[in-house]
Amino acid sequence: MSDQNRTDRRQFLQRSLLGTTGLGMAIASTSEVLAKSAPGEVEVGVTQEVDVLVVGGGTAGNIAAIQAGRAGVSTLLVERGAQLGGTTTTGGVAYPGLFDAWGKQIIAGIGWELVKECVELDGGSLPNFAKVPQRHWQNQIQVNLFLYAILAEEKCEQAGVAIAFHEFPESIAKTSTGWQVDCFGFGTRRRVLCKQIIDCTGGAEVVGMMGFPRLREDETQPGSMLFQLGEVNDPGRRQLHQLYVHGADSSNSRTVTRANLTGRKSILAKLRKEKKRLMHLQPETGFRESYRIVGETMITVNDYTSGRLFKDAVSNAFYPVDLHTKSGVKPKPLKPGTVPTIPLGALIPKGSRNILVAGRCVSSDRLANSGLRVQASCMGMGQAAGVAASLAAQNGTSPLEVPLTEIHKRLAEHGAIIPSKT
Amino acid sequence: MAVPGSKSLRRSLTSLFISLTFLVLAVSGGLAFFRPFSLQIVGLHALMGFVFIGIVLMHVWNNRPQLKGYFRKRVAWLALAVSVSLTFMFFLQPKPIKAVLGLSENLGPAMDRFEMREDGMVYHYSPSPDYKMELKVKSGPSYDPDNPPQIAIWLENQGAFHIKTLRSPDKIDKKNLRYWAFKRRGWEEARKEAESEEKTDAISTPTPNGSFDPADYILPADSETSTPYQLLIEINQQDDAFGPHLDQPSLVYAVEIDNLRPVTFQLLELVGYPKREDEDGKEAWSLYFVDDGFESAVELIDSALLTIERK
Repeated sequence: MSDQNRTDRRQFLQRSLLGTTGLGMAIASTSEVLAKSAPGEVEVGVTQEVDVLVVGGGTAGNIAAIQAGRAGVSTLLVERGAQLGGTTTTGGVAYPGLFDAWGKQIIAGIGWELVKECVELDGGSLPNFAKVPQRHWQNQIQVNLFLYAILAEEKCEQAGVAIAFHEFPESIAKTSTGWQVDCFGFGTRRRVLCKQIIDCTGGAEVVGMMGFPRLREDETQPGSMLFQLGEVNDPGRRQLHQLYVHGADSSNSRTVTRANLTGRKSILAKLRKEKKRLMHLQPETGFRESYRIVGETMITVNDYTSGRLFKDAVSNAFYPVDLHTKSGVKPKPLKPGTVPTIPLGALIPKGSRNILVAGRCVSSDRLANSGLRVQASCMGMGQAAGVAASLAAQNGTSPLEVPLTEIHKRLAEHGAIIPSKT
Repeated sequence: MAVPGSKSLRRSLTSLFISLTFLVLAVSGGLAFFRPFSLQIVGLHALMGFVFIGIVLMHVWNNRPQLKGYFRKRVAWLALAVSVSLTFMFFLQPKPIKAVLGLSENLGPAMDRFEMREDGMVYHYSPSPDYKMELKVKSGPSYDPDNPPQIAIWLENQGAFHIKTLRSPDKIDKKNLRYWAFKRRGWEEARKEAESEEKTDAISTPTPNGSFDPADYILPADSETSTPYQLLIEINQQDDAFGPHLDQPSLVYAVEIDNLRPVTFQLLELVGYPKREDEDGKEAWSLYFVDDGFESAVELIDSALLTIERK
């Protein structure tokens, strides 16, 4: 029997079963489909044409998608996991910050809207930004991670953003109007034709697939595995327990697997030693570092610590230089009045068109990145990227060619704070 | 051979002990005054001093009839006058006495000296010949040398816990420097609380509080493992009304000192003003960023320069 005949029989069997039976049969047919696929063969289940594709629904990604959707462009958000929020929800680092610096709010917009709404709905409390934080992290905002994930979904839906969970790009090709991205999910394949891509994967996975250069240290900063031992988890009120996962690297699924196994093993050892009940465990390690892009502009630690106001600044950032090592971390606070900024050029891979990044893969040196990687700053970048991508899609141009005044105008319309000297 | 009576034996022993302990005290006292600080020398001097007090009490007891006689003589008044005068002089420390104390290489004014001047305030702190700290607070337009502001200088660790007061204000009352007073008062309690916390904060810092021993910051045995700390000042001019304030609150300035990256000159930065906001019925003070409600308070000082010379 020829291969063609075999495929036809299987397809017939699959369609017949799907058409006549219930869920159990559908599961059987799914495995049949996977089993028959030959290497290199792409069978597209869905084809979707959108203006903006956001890859990664984490801290920056869901904000970028909501912003693009609200700007009136068709947007698809592809997320490899099962929920939105990334480090805030899946990682459990549910205390985003810092939205303020030196007594003033410096990051607002969609990220702040989401955090504020989450806190208010959960009956929590927001910090008073007029108060001097005794420790640099004191104005981080405790959010209920479960609620945060659902609210992010609701806001995506309200903005008209389509969400595709459990999917990730498998191949990317250039087209005359933008990109063709083939995404892979279990039991499905999706072809996306889009004008702009915003890579919010944390480690600039899409940029890497496109062949643009990325930077990575030989040894990455430790990640944190969050859990609750002995006491009941009280989301939105109290931080979870946490331990370092040394060598945690989110570069690929193999390294992520390794980090998660290591983290969970450490928790098991701790549990056995302390003889306490495990009350909560986050499904994934919170990663601090993997790849960063080489952008049109590179933010150096001097730019960061001096609060350089870039000409094409689109967002503020605020956090100490905070490089974690094997022996811990000694945060280096910024000098009073200093507010670093993020230029649009740091969100665009050097020499690229129609692609932006947002989040911790922002083009920066390692020390600057140790401060830039925090959640509020990533949210600010996400919104800026969403604006730049939506304007580029609407104008039929590339993000770097969109006039900065238009970007600032749209950011301001959507509640973001535009970096300025005052 | 006659065996001496117990009274005689006691007197002999007391006199011998007095002589010998006096010898130790004289030598160790001289060394403690003129030589750099040594815990052995100062410890020897202090502990032998307590022994000496006990023996002197015995000596006074043995000789109480004679002493009573001395107190009945006129010369007793002279002794009393001289003793009282010296006590006051050494306590108040006028300039000549300060000059003598300034000869000391150890505890006392050479280690810790505060001067009010026309152009501001200067504080010196030198716990070791290898470490000289100077804090120069340059007066601002609203500084009145005839009615200078109250100032407190203290150190805090990374956990924002008070670890050492370097300079207390002259007047401690309900109107003055309450943030410093709160920090100092709550220190012991906060220290115990912080030390009992075993939780490792892997998100931000694994050593959230650090040590509570000032020596670990000022003169760390190993600067590589030392953690940064803060020097703070709280300054207040009493009854300086402005806008809604009958008395503008005090202001707190601070600077971070990092032995890992030692620098000689650092300017203190304005942090904020303190405000009381009790938590769970307990007194608590927080700092707030300075707003437009301040005028002369922010002009009390022009700048505060911290100089640390390390060898």
